[in-house]
Amino acid sequence: MKEITRAAIAILLIAGILLYVVNIMEKSSATSGGGTISVYNWGEYIDPELIKQFEKETNISVVYETFDSNESMMTKIEQGGTTYDVAVPSEYAIEKMKENKLLQPIDHALIPNLKNIDPYFLDLPFDPGNEYSIPYFWGTVGIAFNPTLLDGQTFESWNDLWDPSLEQEVILVDSAREVIGLGLNSLGYSLNSTDMDELREATDKLKTMGPNVKAIIGDEIVEMMRREEAAVAVIWSGQAADVMWVNEDIDFVVPEEGSNLWFDNMIIPKTADNVEGAHAFINFMLDPEVAAQNADYVGYSTPNEKAIALMDPEVTEDKRFYPPEELRERLEVYENLGLEMLGTYNELFLEFKMDMEN
Amino acid sequence: MAKLSKSAKIYLILVFAVLYAPIFYLIFYSFNSGGTMASFEGFTWEHYGAVFNDTRLLIILMNTVIIALLSSLFSTAIGVLGAIGIVFLRNRKTRNTVLSLNTILIVSPDVIIGASFLILFTLIGVKLGFASVLISHIAFSIPIVVIMVLPKLQEMSTSLIDAATDLGASKRDILTRVIIPYIKPGIFAGFFLALTYSLDDFAVTFFVTGNGFSTLSIEIYSMARAGITLTINALSALIFVVTLGLVLGYYFFNQRTGQSPGTGGAKL
Repeated sequence: MKEITRAAIAILLIAGILLYVVNIMEKSSATSGGGTISVYNWGEYIDPELIKQFEKETNISVVYETFDSNESMMTKIEQGGTTYDVAVPSEYAIEKMKENKLLQPIDHALIPNLKNIDPYFLDLPFDPGNEYSIPYFWGTVGIAFNPTLLDGQTFESWNDLWDPSLEQEVILVDSAREVIGLGLNSLGYSLNSTDMDELREATDKLKTMGPNVKAIIGDEIVEMMRREEAAVAVIWSGQAADVMWVNEDIDFVVPEEGSNLWFDNMIIPKTADNVEGAHAFINFMLDPEVAAQNADYVGYSTPNEKAIALMDPEVTEDKRFYPPEELRERLEVYENLGLEMLGTYNELFLEFKMDMEN
Repeated sequence: MAKLSKSAKIYLILVFAVLYAPIFYLIFYSFNSGGTMASFEGFTWEHYGAVFNDTRLLIILMNTVIIALLSSLFSTAIGVLGAIGIVFLRNRKTRNTVLSLNTILIVSPDVIIGASFLILFTLIGVKLGFASVLISHIAFSIPIVVIMVLPKLQEMSTSLIDAATDLGASKRDILTRVIIPYIKPGIFAGFFLALTYSLDDFAVTFFVTGNGFSTLSIEIYSMARAGITLTINALSALIFVVTLGLVLGYYFFNQRTGQSPGTGGAKL
């Protein structure tokens, strides 16, 4: 019994000491007076130095938390029990959250830095007038390829994916809208098509790509491309940037027919505690120098016009990640097609995947 | 122990190679100056430096350890008393029912337990964070402790208790001087198992964290989208070395004192 009591006391002591240390560390990193805001963001999606800078400038301390998918983030916000002041969902999630009344309107008077944003990225169909959301990063969907594995072959059009020489070389991302979307795009139709004939035609065309498809997977694509296990992949531009960072042979292209344009945006959930602090944070992130530093760190494309001017021209003139205007016109943002249509997309995608197995 | 045949030895080596290869692979790349796990470019300590410079990561690590220690301590205390209660239940049927209820909690998927806790906490208005994580970790560890302690209790002969009563021991004495010393190995085993469970729990914690409180498993999972940095490799290597040190120290201590307070306790 003595031994057990002693062990228990020792454990309590260790835990107590650790708690004390954590407290000290939290206090030393936090600032007092300006209150606290909690920020909910994707993993590795901000330069940590910027959080420190924000805390120093505004005296507001930041509780920073990360999530891995729009869905889990929405669940956490919907369930309550924790109050987030700023979160960064993707555009379709914003539409859903708006419908579920999870957002509160953003007071543009408190965000003077909004003027730095390229007007092209404002007032989009998922949030007209930017009533609820402010752009954070954006990107496209395109083809990443490794010419050294393909005898120097290059890509310009979605149709290049059907090239017979690519047998068992193409990886597709496991996502209905991206894959059906590329089918639609390759035929010159809209990504947001709700016309059953067009959708059917796109699916049938996708099926003929069968022999070329090596796999339909998720985030593992990045690792496979790095290791040169695959030569071609349909992925998001941010992932492509990651891949290219480590394997310089790899190139990325947004096909000429057009593609998807996606956004991650800052929002203020209805349950927010410190609305004023949240506005201050959003405004801070839109500061040109801050946005430039952040884009440098994260590697995605910033919608901040003034920030682009401050960044390395070699990056911002890279047409693969900052597409020129004539290409941008062909990019489309996903519209909310409604539950039923989304079901149809999923069904067609499933049909395509099942056809693969034969 | 009988001597192993050659093929058995090779098999054993293969099994251990499979178990340890990923860990060593990960540790190897923690010294990579290249920044990713794609190719090894050169030796560096930089990622280890990054671990100690990242206050947030260190806080998360300590939170993980605090939660593990406290939750396994409390769950051991509760679980031991629960096991004793179960063993002394007179009615066979009730006892079996309680035991089955305990087993159900062990086999039910973590995701469901986590989701239930989330719903419960938000229903009764508990703020998600340290307390909610601690409570749920205690809760899912209790059945494990019960299972670890029960065999020791069942093995104990009731005549020991009768003898103690005859010699005038009070109920309290019987508990602290007879039962608990006898089941000590089971208690330690339960504690360490609860500790491991808490340290690597992802699913339950995933649901009940909030307000900036996070544990290592959650943090690493969130990083997965943008690619796990080598800082995590370095951190994992450090944790591995510390664990190895603890285990070696434990065996060393055991051999010197001849006692075995842990899992492999000598049969009495």
